[in-house]
Amino acid sequence: MAEPRFALSRAHRTAALGALTAGAVVAVGPLLLDTYMTNILIRALFLAAVVMTVDVLWGYTGVLTFGQSAFFGVGAYACALVFTHYGFGADWGLLALALGIGAAMTIALLTGWLAFFHGASPLYGSIITLALPIVLTQAIFSGGRFTGSSSGLSGFPTWYWPVEVYFWIAGGLLVAVTTLGWLLVRSDFGRVLVAIRENEERCAYLGVPVSRIKIALMMAAAAVAAAAGFGYAAFTNVVAPELAGFLLGTEFLIYTALGGRGTLLGPVLAGVGIDVTASWLSGQLPFLWKLMTGVAFIVVIVLLPRGLAPVFMALGRLIPGGPPEPPAALVAAPRRAGPGAETAAPPLRIEALTRSYGSLQVLKGVTMTGHASELLSVVGPNGVGKTTLMRCVSDGAERSGGTVEINGVALGRGAPQRATAMGVGRSFQNTSLFDSLTVAECLQLARMRVDGARLFHRRDEIRLPEPARDILRATGLDQKLAEETRNLSHGMKRGLELAMVLATEPSVLLLDEPTAGLTKAERGAIGAVLTRLTREFGLCIVLIEHDLDFVREISDRVVVLHQGAILMEGAVEEVVASDLVKAVYAGHGADRGAAA
Amino acid sequence: MSILVLDILTTSAILFVVAAGLMVILGVMKLINFAHGAFLTVGGYAAFLTTSAGISPWLAAPLAGLFGFASGLVIERLIVRPLYDRPLDAILATWGLGIVIGQLITLAFGRGVQFADSPLTGVTSLLGPDYSAWRIAVSAIAIGVGLALTALLYFTRFGLNARAVIMNEALARGLGIDSVRVRAVTFGLGAGLACAAGALITPLLSVDPNMGLPWLVNSFMLVMVSGVSFPSLALAALAFGGAQVLVSTYVSPIVGGLTIVVLAALVLRVNPKGFARG
Repeated sequence: MAEPRFALSRAHRTAALGALTAGAVVAVGPLLLDTYMTNILIRALFLAAVVMTVDVLWGYTGVLTFGQSAFFGVGAYACALVFTHYGFGADWGLLALALGIGAAMTIALLTGWLAFFHGASPLYGSIITLALPIVLTQAIFSGGRFTGSSSGLSGFPTWYWPVEVYFWIAGGLLVAVTTLGWLLVRSDFGRVLVAIRENEERCAYLGVPVSRIKIALMMAAAAVAAAAGFGYAAFTNVVAPELAGFLLGTEFLIYTALGGRGTLLGPVLAGVGIDVTASWLSGQLPFLWKLMTGVAFIVVIVLLPRGLAPVFMALGRLIPGGPPEPPAALVAAPRRAGPGAETAAPPLRIEALTRSYGSLQVLKGVTMTGHASELLSVVGPNGVGKTTLMRCVSDGAERSGGTVEINGVALGRGAPQRATAMGVGRSFQNTSLFDSLTVAECLQLARMRVDGARLFHRRDEIRLPEPARDILRATGLDQKLAEETRNLSHGMKRGLELAMVLATEPSVLLLDEPTAGLTKAERGAIGAVLTRLTREFGLCIVLIEHDLDFVREISDRVVVLHQGAILMEGAVEEVVASDLVKAVYAGHGADRGAAA
Repeated sequence: MSILVLDILTTSAILFVVAAGLMVILGVMKLINFAHGAFLTVGGYAAFLTTSAGISPWLAAPLAGLFGFASGLVIERLIVRPLYDRPLDAILATWGLGIVIGQLITLAFGRGVQFADSPLTGVTSLLGPDYSAWRIAVSAIAIGVGLALTALLYFTRFGLNARAVIMNEALARGLGIDSVRVRAVTFGLGAGLACAAGALITPLLSVDPNMGLPWLVNSFMLVMVSGVSFPSLALAALAFGGAQVLVSTYVSPIVGGLTIVVLAALVLRVNPKGFARG
């Protein structure tokens, strides 16, 4: 934290100010409140720290988790088990805390491995997080006298400090983790998290290791939850299986939804507020109170999907905003040798590639090579497998048989981010962007694989290679860096997508109808950039295109795909003039033509 | 047939009938109904009310089904319809609904355990050894429900419309199918099935405000594994229900209670498509 850069950043100044204010509130809190209220608040503060992690996971990253209570329970049981069965003291306490955090992180790692992999549906991940607390609760039940089974453990030795001390510990923990969380979601890394929520698929194709990030995040969240659980158990001197149960896990979700997901402070305040109210009211109106929570939850989900925080912010601007930060500035990325610069192998080699869906064979043994400084167009009628071909090159899990080599290295069964790391860049047939991010943020995201993403700091420049900046200039996007992408015109979206792919510095560029729906002028600009990419930067471009005039203008070589196999391959004029191709496009006599 | 085989078959049949309502809703609406457990509970209380009012216990399940269908239509209109394009939010809203239903039941009936009369009492030696007659009857009903649902899906106008909505909702709407109505009826049907299933299993257990919860998670796992098809749901119920019975018998009932959750999670990790088409 000694770097001068950190002291200058506005986010860090705001965070320090917020943390100091909150810290002061925590410091004087127990002096003003009665003992009963202090006791209730301690519990709420520990739980709110867990709610904060749920918001980072769900509100920011889109991982709907029912299982955060499991980690809370692990921390609590680590405390109770060690103090009951092994020993008590400062050293035992530290050991128990370390054990709890370690166990929680290990469980999070296993859960994450199970829940997050490329192609897993978000629903599946949620189900795994739902299964986790159920399994853990059953494990506690079957622990017999060791875990105290259904009645839990109580009366173990603990620190009998005055409540003020526990209040300061709980409040200090909450302020510390919330400050870290606040900085995290405002950092480069936080932007990656939002991008994963908005469009996970696109992230993977930009080389973002989505599953690994989710697992790491889950482990960090588990560590925070376990620490909170440890403190909670040491304070209450009671642990029960319900602490790890999935009902508590869903309560965390309810607090997050009510407070406003993706606002961090909203869920934290809601967590504290609702839990305190609940402790108050559940004495007098036990069932009615839960009923009211349930109704409020449904109403908020249906009518106020962003929760209560935005309502409050709109009402009184509770959280000071100030003028928006200026967007990051474009700077030139140092030109570096991309993957494959040293090898003599062709950038793209496809050998006997097949892809079938059940009994339907879409690609039947495609063999082709893409050379450096070459623009290779793949043409053919709709449904012959052009897009499938691209998918097989950019995602190792797609193909049924055959091999794909990028710069002489076999793709294997790697996920899209692996293909991206090997030098494949892919744009999609249907524009696929991140709606709520700005142009500048999208570009920075695309640079994550090359530049990395810092955890608690936000970069204020976008380093882009020259071709990407060319595209931005040609489409006028360099004047719209602060614009959210959903407000862009279709042509600009296509341009931005191409610039993002180029920002990953690929050596093989796969473009699926990059000019579909563009005006003639836009098409010309993109054609010029593509030509320049092959001539000056030595890229290998594989282009899918229906517009034969465009193909004729810019291609070096053309491959004609028909019924999942290569029908013809050759120079542009040769192919365009061929009767065979005319027959295929006209849709008659094709089989006769192929036989000839 | 030995007791073990009967245990496996009846457990699977019960799992099937309990999960069917969840699957109907998931299939057509792409929505995980987290209130499924609460609907089961409602069915249980419907059976309790029916039998304590002196009505024949055979009518408990049909009455519960009707009640579920009607309330399903209302719930769909109020809570589910606004969330069509936010599937993860719909999960949460139905979970909130589950809490509300659970609390309403607690307010009305208290937290205590109640019992409902069984239409069939005692044991039968129809299939070999002495075995609970109602379990066998429930299994037969489950098979009947499975066949009826399949027939509904493949031999009726509603089924054709529903299948069209399952495959391509936008196109179905373009063809003049009222997909909003299909969804509403589907939710009613799913809720009705859940309530009827709750009434069916009640004589085997007791009724309390949380009785549906353990079933929710298992149904959930079975439906995720089987995708959207009744034959594969039956297969999944048989495979996992069988495993559950075996583990409960030979290892321990507590581990047995986790069998379905753990096995299904692993199956889905290895093959995300589950049992659907291999």
